Parts: sequence; C-alpha cells; structure tokens
Amino acid sequence: MITLEEVKGAVARFLSEKWNVPVSVTAISKIFGGASRETFRLTLDVDGQSKRVIIRRDPPSSLIDTERALEYGAYEKIFPTDIPVPEPLFLEDDPSYLGQPFSVMACIDDCQTDVSTLSIEARRILGEHKYQILGRLAANNPIDLGFDSITPVPELHHCALEQLNYWRGVILDDEIHPQPIAQAAMRWLGSNLPPPAQKLAIVHGDYRTGNFLFNTQNEITGVLDWEMCHLGDPLEDLAWSLDPLWTWGEPGLAGRLLPVDEAIEIWCESSGLVCDRIALKWWRIFVALKAIAIWISSSEYFHHGEGKDSILAMAGWVMTDRQNKILLDYLMPHDLVDADLEPEPEPEREREPETEIESVKGAHQ
Amino acid sequence: MIPYTDQALRHLSTRLMAQILPDIGSEYSMSDAALVGLLMNAIADEAEEGIQRRLEDISEMREIFVIAADSLTVAELELVGAELRSYRLSDVNQLHDGMTRILIELQTRNENKSEAGPEGVKDITNAIWRYLKRHAGRHTIRAIP
Repeated sequence: MITLEEVKGAVARFLSEKWNVPVSVTAISKIFGGASRETFRLTLDVDGQSKRVIIRRDPPSSLIDTERALEYGAYEKIFPTDIPVPEPLFLEDDPSYLGQPFSVMACIDDCQTDVSTLSIEARRILGEHKYQILGRLAANNPIDLGFDSITPVPELHHCALEQLNYWRGVILDDEIHPQPIAQAAMRWLGSNLPPPAQKLAIVHGDYRTGNFLFNTQNEITGVLDWEMCHLGDPLEDLAWSLDPLWTWGEPGLAGRLLPVDEAIEIWCESSGLVCDRIALKWWRIFVALKAIAIWISSSEYFHHGEGKDSILAMAGWVMTDRQNKILLDYLMPHDLVDADLEPEPEPEREREPETEIESVKGAHQ
Repeated sequence: MIPYTDQALRHLSTRLMAQILPDIGSEYSMSDAALVGLLMNAIADEAEEGIQRRLEDISEMREIFVIAADSLTVAELELVGAELRSYRLSDVNQLHDGMTRILIELQTRNENKSEAGPEGVKDITNAIWRYLKRHAGRHTIRAIP
C-alpha cells in the first residue's frame, strides 16, 4: 500500500522530469469509491503556478480487467471532440515512480458527481444534457477518431454476441457460487440475439449518473471512467444508462434525472439514430447481465485477490443481490410475478411501468 | 465460544462507526471505515440467518427435484438425496451449490423441450421461477440501504 507522502514525492519527481520545471505538491487527497483504479487529487506548484491534477494508479487488484492504455487512449481521442472529458496529460507504464503504472489527467474544478441534492428541475436539465452528450457520442464515426488503433472493430452483426460471450466468460470464470438467474439470462440472450447494430459506435461502457462531473449550472463538464470503452452497438450505452440499478429507490427516472421515454427521445434526436424497442429490450437485459458479471468479479477479487477494498465487497455482495432482482423482473414469466412470495419486511422496489422496461415475461414459458 | 456472534459483530460495527470513525483524519479513510461498518452489519445478519436461509433453499429445491425426478440423472438424484454432512457453512454451501447446479441443468433442459413438452414441464419451469424469486427475496441484504 502506497502512502500519500510517497505519492506526493513520486508525482513531483515525475512531473518535474516531464515538464522540465520545478514541481511540488501542496495538497493531496485520495478519492473514495473508485473500484477500478486508485484515484488521487493533487494541487501542484508548477514553477510558481498553481495547477490541479488527477492521478489514476493501477491497484494490485481491479474490479474490471482493463488496460490502462485503452482508457487513456479513449481520453486522448475524445478530448478534441465536443464530448467533455478531462485533458489527458501522461500515461506512465514505468512502475518505478508509484509502484504501479498510472495516468495523469487535468483536474476539472468546481464540479460534483452526486445528483441526490439537486431539485427536480435541475435534474431534468442535467438529464437532457446527459442524453444529448450520449447521442453525440453515438453519432461520431469511431474510425475517423482513430478508435480502431486502440480497440478491436467488430462486425455490425457480431456486436451483441461478442459482448455476450465476453461477459459470459467473466461470470463463468469468477463466480464463487453458481448463478441460476444469470445463467437463465445468458440462455435467453443467446437465443434471442438482436438485429445487427444500425451503426458502429463508440461505446463508453459505463455511461451512468455518477460517472460524469457537472457544474453549478447543471452542465456536464467531464465524462469519466472510460475503462470499459469499446466499439459496438450504440444501444448498449443507452441501455446501460437506463438500468434500474442506477435509479434504485427512484424507479422511472433514467439515472435519477428524467423519465425514461424522454431520455430515449433526446438520445434519438441528438444521435440521429432510431431506438428499436425490441433491440433495446435485449440490450437492457444484457447490461443487467454485464453488471452482474462485474459485481461477481468484484466479489471474486475481494475473496481471492490482493486488494481487500471495502468497495469490492459492497459491489460484490449488495449489487449482485440487487441486479439479480432486476434480471428476475425482466425474465420471470408474467403470470408468476408477485405469486407465491414470502412477505418481506421491507417494501420491494416498485416495478417500472411497462412502457419503460417491456420485460420479456413469458419468454421461458 | 463467542456469545451472540451476530450481536457481537453489530456492537463492533457501532463502535467502529460511532467512536473510531470520527477520529480518523482523512476523508477517504472515513468513507472506507463507514462502509466497513455497514458491511459488518450485513455479515452479522448472515451469521445469524445465513445457514437457515440456505437450508430453506435446499428444502425448496428438493421439492422441485421430487416433482422432476424423471428428468434427473442417476448422479443428480444421488446428490439430491445426499445427507448434509454438517451444519458448518462450508458443508451447507457445498450441498447448496451442488443442488443449484442441478437446478440450472433442469431449467435448461426444460427450456429446450418446453415448446412441445407436456404440461408437467411448464409446472416445473414455473416452480423454478417461483423458487428463484423467493431465493432472491430471502437473501436480500437489508443492512445496507
């Protein structure tokens, strides 16, 4: 485990070498909650000028098996576009500085990620901005932006199956106990593949409330956490952003911001794409399965990996529990919903209206 | 032995969050300690009820396997009829996992023949879904909001 003092010294030395001017660290804090990388916020004195940066350091264990080069490369390619992201500064693979590879990004100041204290109107404004940005991301040509140099380029008709196979493998590799609900979802998804993607798009992979920064005008100033970025079907990001896990306790609002149908409408206008509801249904079930895979992996890392971060246990235990309920809502035959249930001491999460989820009730009958 | 194991964990969690946490200097460590405290409460619930929940699962799965006995292999039937070796969590987990794997197999087989299958197939499929719903509700982690 690296101490804050060690990070301060190493970063000052590294940036002094890179910028060829004296650099000292005047303040440092570690940001809680990042399960994939250790994240530090530093205030620097750069030859008399104050500057703030973010350091993302590879941990001994990670929630998601990702290449830091992919995430950094995505920032580099997105930064010149109209999608707001922090400016990438350096990617360092040499572990001699911080004991692990790391990246350096410019800090976006005076922003937050927590929407829970916002008014309904503020959330709506933020939600409109969120889905406009996601639409613009989907509208981009990933080859023009050079994404083919950092990530594989799938065929349009393989996008869904490739993602399903990848995350199915993660579940089978990392599950500690057998997962009957996830297994049922995998079988359904494999038997009901969606039509080919309408276009090849940059898929952020974790586009949700909490993974972007916004300012006091409710403008998004930075989309973060591109480590699961890949090329694929643009509906995947839309579906991920709509997953009920991100609206836990506030069903019906996409990412706790605005109604699901409005979010989809804004995305369609901004992207110029159509939202095939049948295909979206497949992607919504898929993203719930993908999320389960991530939570199962975090539990596996917690139990067998080097890192024992509490956030890994939280994700592995609580999120798996909730995501299983979401999948059950999607997959359970319609005539069995609410039947033969033992009374629960706490109220169940409300079911989302049919127009939002259109679950695949009856699929297994 | 440790008396009232679950309560002991809860007491230690309370001590962590109410007395140790406020004296922690960094914001990061405070958040970490708070989450550890919540997780300790979840583990306390599991210590108190985890074995019972698993045994209820096993009992309900056995009921399904009795109805579906004709669809099970000899090896599967042997496992279904196996005695629980002890009430240690590891032994209960082993039997629970084995039965869950059979349940997955049974559900998969039923899906493959459900279109033209007899009415009994649908009954078993529905029984599995009902079980999965009860299983998910039974294992809900309530200690963390």
